[in-house]
Amino acid sequence: MSQPNSTYEPKLITPAGDILSNDWQVLGDEDPIGADGACVLGFQRALNELPSLNGRYGVRINAGEDVRELTPCLDKIALIEVNFPVYRDGRGYSTARILRQDLGFTGPIRAVGDVLRDQAHYMFRCGFSELLLKDADPEGVIAWIKSLYQYAYQGAADAQKPVWALRHANSQTGAQADA
Amino acid sequence: MKLLTANRLTDGLVIWYASDAEWPAGWVEDAAQATRLEDAEAEALLAQWQPRETEVVGAYLVPLIDDNTPVQREYVREHVRANGPSIGPTVLDTAKTHNRSEVF
Amino acid sequence: MYVYDHYDHALVKQRNAEFSDQVRRRLAGEITEDQFKPLRLMNGVYLQLHAYMLRIAVPYGVLSSRQVRKFAHIARTYDRGFGHFTTRQNLQFNWIKLAEVPTILRELAEVEMHTIQTSGNCIRNTTTDQFAGAAKDEVDDPRPWAELIRQWSTFHPEYSFLPRKFKIAITGAEADRAAVRVHDIGLHLTERGFDVYAGGGLGRTPSVAPLIKTDLPHDKILSYLEACLRVYNRYGRRDNSFKARIKILVAALGAEEYARQVEAEWQTLDQAAIDAPFAEIARIKSFFPEPAYKTDAFDDAAEARARTADAGFARWLRNNTHPHRNDSHISVTVSLKPIGGVPGDASDAQLEVLADVADAYGYSELRVTHEQNIVLPHVHRNDLYALYQRLDAAGMGAANISQITDMITCPGLDYCSLANARSIPLAQDISRRFEDAQLSDKIGELKIKISGCINACGHHHVGHIGILGVDKQGVEFYQILLGGRADEHAALGAITGKGLSAEAVPAAIERVVNLYLDLRTDPSERFIDTLERVGRDAFKEALHEPA
Repeated sequence: MSQPNSTYEPKLITPAGDILSNDWQVLGDEDPIGADGACVLGFQRALNELPSLNGRYGVRINAGEDVRELTPCLDKIALIEVNFPVYRDGRGYSTARILRQDLGFTGPIRAVGDVLRDQAHYMFRCGFSELLLKDADPEGVIAWIKSLYQYAYQGAADAQKPVWALRHANSQTGAQADA
Repeated sequence: MKLLTANRLTDGLVIWYASDAEWPAGWVEDAAQATRLEDAEAEALLAQWQPRETEVVGAYLVPLIDDNTPVQREYVREHVRANGPSIGPTVLDTAKTHNRSEVF
Repeated sequence: MYVYDHYDHALVKQRNAEFSDQVRRRLAGEITEDQFKPLRLMNGVYLQLHAYMLRIAVPYGVLSSRQVRKFAHIARTYDRGFGHFTTRQNLQFNWIKLAEVPTILRELAEVEMHTIQTSGNCIRNTTTDQFAGAAKDEVDDPRPWAELIRQWSTFHPEYSFLPRKFKIAITGAEADRAAVRVHDIGLHLTERGFDVYAGGGLGRTPSVAPLIKTDLPHDKILSYLEACLRVYNRYGRRDNSFKARIKILVAALGAEEYARQVEAEWQTLDQAAIDAPFAEIARIKSFFPEPAYKTDAFDDAAEARARTADAGFARWLRNNTHPHRNDSHISVTVSLKPIGGVPGDASDAQLEVLADVADAYGYSELRVTHEQNIVLPHVHRNDLYALYQRLDAAGMGAANISQITDMITCPGLDYCSLANARSIPLAQDISRRFEDAQLSDKIGELKIKISGCINACGHHHVGHIGILGVDKQGVEFYQILLGGRADEHAALGAITGKGLSAEAVPAAIERVVNLYLDLRTDPSERFIDTLERVGRDAFKEALHEPA
């Protein structure tokens, strides 16, 4: 019997299939912020301390935390980690999409926690640019996604056009007469 | 006294533990053939079988009040699991398949 | 009806490949049951008591005869020769093998069918009025909008792991035949736009949805729904699955505050990137034209002769037809509630007959009602007698629509692992008790709805008489509720006291019915009207009278 894929060590992977090294250190709330290396602060700590800090930091958002509260200090954020406590908790998808499409965040958005291959495609569609993916074959997951998902019914945070846009590509786009 | 039961992963059919013969031989589809287990042995077997996810799904123990009767609080459910739906076009299927009348 | 283009086909194929791979990995142990379960639910695969159940989506209840024939084939080939129609207009098979699901999905895709999102914590089938596009009282056809919503909600990347399931219903008439007020989101389509109701639902904490938006412009429906879903996804409770539906959130915030949050979220969205353009709406609408109605004049003399000659036909004509916008046509409800039968079931032979009569008399189109019957929406009145005879010969001629024997009944403990009690045997007993045609006609409209557990798949909260199966230390008991309604005057039934045994229920209902017959002002006052006029107390007493 095979070992479940999710028991393998997680790897950081991008939608293009590149494995990244994870150089970010997640700090506990009491840990000092050192001068060396990239560090990820907890959400509350970031809200409290970022206004008085210089430089750029990572922030970890847990499910249930409101990403819009970070709006005033987005310019000091170089990385956002969105934590999935369990893969079934779908709040992180909204967090990423709000970050990308409402707040206009252009930096890396990373999914961490219970991140599994069967949710990877939706995570990318919602604006995640990196996944700390628990799988035996992360590159295989990306190859599978690339080969399988050609179309989408709806727009999201990625570049994919919804099918209705493809259907009417030659007609006046955006024209919305009264139905 | 308890029975160990589950659904088979591949087809979802109700199955009952009968012996420790190698899978699939040790499990049967006929509740009448299920082995009546002492409590301690039942618990041990349940712990052994719950992780065997490519063979069985949702394994659990059915407490009996005697050799052939599940406890009252599980009775209707286990009667239906062992004999099929009590109504409708398949109502005789299980009995026919195992060439017996109802169990429990 | 809607016809797939190559994009639709590709998207279904995509999902089939994805799920087939997930099944393979599950069988091989590469994914745990806990990781697999939401994935299989999102593909309509339940593990029930006896086997896997497969729930096939019937988008907004519309079927072609070709699709119904495929159902018959699947019933014969992969199941035990019958299927069950549900209160969300879908079809269920009860004896499916997981290992065969990928093959079944390929077969379904051949006729533009699938099992996508028929379960799981995602957006489910959007349901509508079974007479859409046909009813005389319809203001606007809801089906194109249901199709638009279907596409938008399918594989939505942000809303596939919601706190709980999410059900949308839409109606296009003043009369609500789709029970929109007891859905997570109910939409009332008018000429001015959509009236949006949010936070309705049945189950453990039933509620009638409050109105949160009036006259939403039609072409904004998708972006507005996104806002509704996003607020729910972010703030719906995830700590307790019994408190996780949107109705809990709307009640906790209050309708006004929920509406305000939706409005605020809606303003942050790039609506133009979400709302389909006019061209797409027009394209979808083009699939729902009027049928090419037969132009023969209605031969009312022939119908009168048939009525006189055949009392059964006369009764069926009275009870099972619904007024049509085209004067020579009518909508027919085919009863899947034969006396003493299993409510909502159809054998493979019956499915073949339904397909045949749809082709012969119904422009090849059928509907599933949320009350577990089948509708032929367009039938020329000259064809009614021939249609009736064929249905009757196939055991589908019961002339009992909306009558006491036309019960909604969930599968209950005979099939469902969530149930506390069996529901079908009770429905059969009640059916036999009231089988007399004259009595049933005399009683008139009386909707009994039976659920085998609090999850309320039988909609017992909105039955004129609702019956809820409960478990008292392993013995099946039934609580009776009175005064529920699923229509535009939606109301929740009230529990009337202690549960009754299965043996006691039919007699109790008979006492309630007799009291109604005594108290009603005249035969035109329906049961629900008398109950509302007189109040529930007298009926409660009658229910629980000692034998």
